[in-house]
Amino acid sequence: MAKRERLEIIKDILKIINDNRAMKITPLIRRSNLSTSRFKEYFGDLLRKGFVVEKNKTIKITEKGSRFLEKYQTILHFIDEFDL
Amino acid sequence: MNAGIGTEIIYAFVIILCSLMIYFGTRELYELTSHKGIKYFRQAFLFFALAYFFRSFIKFIIKYFDLRNIFEFAPMLFGPITLFLFAYLSSIAIFYLLYSVIYKRLEKKKYVLYLIHAIALVFAFLILLSQNPLMHLYINGILFILAGITVYFAKINSKKKKGQNLYTIYILLFIFWILNILDILVPAFIEIFQLIIYLSSISIFLTILYKVLRNLGVK
Repeated sequence: MAKRERLEIIKDILKIINDNRAMKITPLIRRSNLSTSRFKEYFGDLLRKGFVVEKNKTIKITEKGSRFLEKYQTILHFIDEFDL
Repeated sequence: MNAGIGTEIIYAFVIILCSLMIYFGTRELYELTSHKGIKYFRQAFLFFALAYFFRSFIKFIIKYFDLRNIFEFAPMLFGPITLFLFAYLSSIAIFYLLYSVIYKRLEKKKYVLYLIHAIALVFAFLILLSQNPLMHLYINGILFILAGITVYFAKINSKKKKGQNLYTIYILLFIFWILNILDILVPAFIEIFQLIIYLSSISIFLTILYKVLRNLGVK
């Protein structure tokens, strides 16, 4: 899978969490439009990178996750402009 | 410290500063994405900074901190070691910049990065053993023909219409490299010529820095 798609999926998941402030895992899987196995793969990545935290089965976005959302357009623009 | 060395050190300092600003300026983007293209792109500029540190800036440190006695045991080693490191690191910098464009097609071939370092080492040894500035010119010529072919094919295979900044950077670096080879080939006594080369090279690196910072959203 291309890197851009991966970044887009991460952005979509983070945006869903951000828009809802906090979320349970089941509605998040449903709204992310990913299969459960693919969601787990991405969710594990988000936890490892410190973009989200999970407390009492509720998922919240961290400051680093919010920073990713803020910088998302810049990231895409940079990758495109330098053909990376 | 004579004027020639002073100018060379200021020149190296500006190149190192620009390269490090690109390296540290793109750190957050890499930390947020772990994107391999960004990783190799910024590492290329780190290698440029290191190459220019060994080319010139180390002379300043040795003179300023009076570390000459460290090399007293074998002063003839200092020049070749720094030449070797400069040749190796500058070749690696060009290779990494190219790899940042084509890594997606070579991702499964993990040996490519080792191969890049091995080729750079061979180039550095050839330059060191030949002790001939023309060898430096030939090797850099080969490097840039390879680079040109890679960038050209990456461009025609790319479905995206963007990526213009990369090609601008490549052309600017090419001019920068030609100027630096001229600097090596032309005897140091033509100081006015050397000064023109330094000023042109600094302008090129400042343009690259501007292009990178502008795309990072820095105002």
